[in-house]
Order: sequence, then structure tokens, then C-alpha cells
Amino acid sequence: MLDRASTFANPEIVKMLRTRFVPVAIDQAYQRRQKDAEGEFYRKIAGQGPRSNFQSTTQGFYIATAQGKLLLYNNNRDPAKVQRLMKEKLSIFQQNAAEHSRAVAIKPGKVDARYNVSLPTGGLVVRVRAKVLGGYEPTTDRWLAIFQNALSRDNLWISAAEHQALLRGEIPVSLQKRIARFHLVDNTRGEPPMWKENEIRNLKMTVTGNRIQGQVTLGTDRGDRGFEADLFGVLEVKAGKVVRLDLVARGDFWGEGTYTRHAPKGKFPLAIFFSLADGTDVADRVPPKGSRGWLPGYLR
Amino acid sequence: MKYREFTSSRLLVGLLMAVLFTKMSLAAELNESEFRSLQRQLQPPADAPWRTIPWKITLIEAQRTAIQEKKPIFIWAMDGHPLGCT
Repeated sequence: MLDRASTFANPEIVKMLRTRFVPVAIDQAYQRRQKDAEGEFYRKIAGQGPRSNFQSTTQGFYIATAQGKLLLYNNNRDPAKVQRLMKEKLSIFQQNAAEHSRAVAIKPGKVDARYNVSLPTGGLVVRVRAKVLGGYEPTTDRWLAIFQNALSRDNLWISAAEHQALLRGEIPVSLQKRIARFHLVDNTRGEPPMWKENEIRNLKMTVTGNRIQGQVTLGTDRGDRGFEADLFGVLEVKAGKVVRLDLVARGDFWGEGTYTRHAPKGKFPLAIFFSLADGTDVADRVPPKGSRGWLPGYLR
Repeated sequence: MKYREFTSSRLLVGLLMAVLFTKMSLAAELNESEFRSLQRQLQPPADAPWRTIPWKITLIEAQRTAIQEKKPIFIWAMDGHPLGCT
């Protein structure tokens, strides 16, 4: 979130990444754990930096050669600093071009299934975006301002059986619960806590014609976090295909999580928009946050 | 004096009604018009600079491309996927 609006909003950095580097974006919680060639290559690179304990986060920016030699680790998102470091490391890379030309492509081999999840055959991907619509105190803090205006991103996965139900004009309970537990969250300031099944207090979604309507109430036992929202959307099926699935949840959210601090005080308006992905964005291939480490639990 | 109290009371009632009306409006059920408005508000800008970067999502693929194009690899490694988590 912060990086998208700071480091990667800098035109010079964007230009360098487009032309001088091979940019790759990963959830390091996967790579530092996975037991396959992908994981080994990541740990080879990250292990040369200061975050070499793979039991905890190794997040940051890395620059490395194709042979796995670390040229830079940096966890500072100041664009001017990142830009300077990129130029320095590019220069060092170019000085050793002959050495780098001896790199050999890594064979993928057998992949670690736990960390290489993919959309179930016959399933659907839905893009999910969330935004806090108001309630923040005015701020002059640059980073808080980014959070306050953030539009979050995630993907919802729909199973083949649920896809078939949608073709019949039904939203199965499994899909309703997945939407509620893993996607009706405030992830605009970081990784959010998901809802437990018993924190779904009320959930109703119906389809009439092509119109989806519903209500949802989510809340912790302590009452320190919750969401009361209405749902409204459109489901269109043509020639045996779901051609449109748009859904908006809008309501009052309250509370925050360990990694989503600085929420507005009290109840605040939150909207979440779901729309069918068309596969044109590389991010359409990213697994849902709620599936991390346990896809069956997410899809059940 | 009494006129002033009467005026103050009317003002207070008016203010309370305005607050109540606003609350009721916020709590109103979603309709087609608001759905469309929120749909627009929650669209990411297509020209956001970071979206113009040709991100790869596996290191193996990036390593292969780095060899072919003779370039270094830039890794954006986060807690949660940077392209689709928060």
C-alpha cells in the first residue's frame, strides 16, 4: 500500500524498473517457507542480507543477480534513497557483466504444493477493493494520509461447484460465508484480521432476477471490532457463462487489528466492491490473502 | 426572554432532526444509484504508475528473464502479496 503510493509512484524508479531491472513482487511468507526451487532461490538471496532468520519476516526490497548474489537489501521506502541505491547497484552489476552472463536458468522441479496454490479448475476469480469513505481525523502525516486514501486489493476465489450454482442464479452458503469471513474486512491500512465463523452474526444474500441483495453483521465477542453492512449487486449469466458479477458491501465498520492500526475512532463508513476478474491484470493470478497456508480452509 | 428560550428550543429541535435525518440517510439500504457511485469510487486508476511496471510473480520466472535480458532482479518482498493483499 505505502510502497504503491510512494516508491513505485516515483517516475524515475518506475522507468528504471521497466527498462533496467526484472521486477518481481512476492509474498515472502510463501518463499521463505516453501521447499522447492523457488523457495531455495529466495532463501539464497535473502540469507545474504540482515533478515536471514526465515522464522520471521524477511520483507523489504532486494536487488540480486540471476546467480543469486545479493547486491542490495533495503527496507526504507524513501523514493530518493531507493532511486540512489538502484543506480549504484545497477552500476556494480554492469561492471561484472561477464560474471553474470554465466548464470544458468533454474529448473522449477517439483513445487511445494502448500505454497503453490492455484484457482480450482472451473472456478472464478473476483477482484475485491475496499475503501474507508470517511471518519478520519485530518492529518499532515504523509504516510497516514496514504492509508486514509487507500484503495485495497485482494482476490476472491470461487470454486467450480459455486460457479455452477451462480449459473443457476444462486449464491451458495459456502460462498456467502467466504465473502463474509475473508473479504468483508478493512484491509486498507495493512494485513487485517479475518473473521472467525462464529463472528458471523447475521448473513443473508439473495438473488432475484439478476439483482443481488443482502445484509451482514460481523462482530467479535468483545465487541471491539465489527461490520454491519448492506449488500447490493448484479449477477448476469449469458450462454452458460457468468458474464457479470458485481457486488458492493457498504456499512459501518469499527475497530482495527494489529497490522491495521490508526482506524478512525468509533464507527466509520467502509465500502467493499467485488467484480469479476478478466485475467488481464497479473494480480488476477495472486491467491486470496485468506487462503495463505491453508487453501482447503479458505475454500470449504 | 421567553421568546429567546422558545427560539433556542426550536433551533435545538431542528438540529436534532437534522442529525437524525443524516443518520437515517447513512443507514439507508443500498440502491442502484449508490451502487453505481461506489462502483466508480472503488475503481483503481488505470494509469497508476506502479501498475505500468511489468511485475512477475515468481522468482524462477524472473531469474530466467534476468538471464535472457542481462538485467538484475528487483524483488519487492512483503508480508502479504504486494499486488493483491492490502
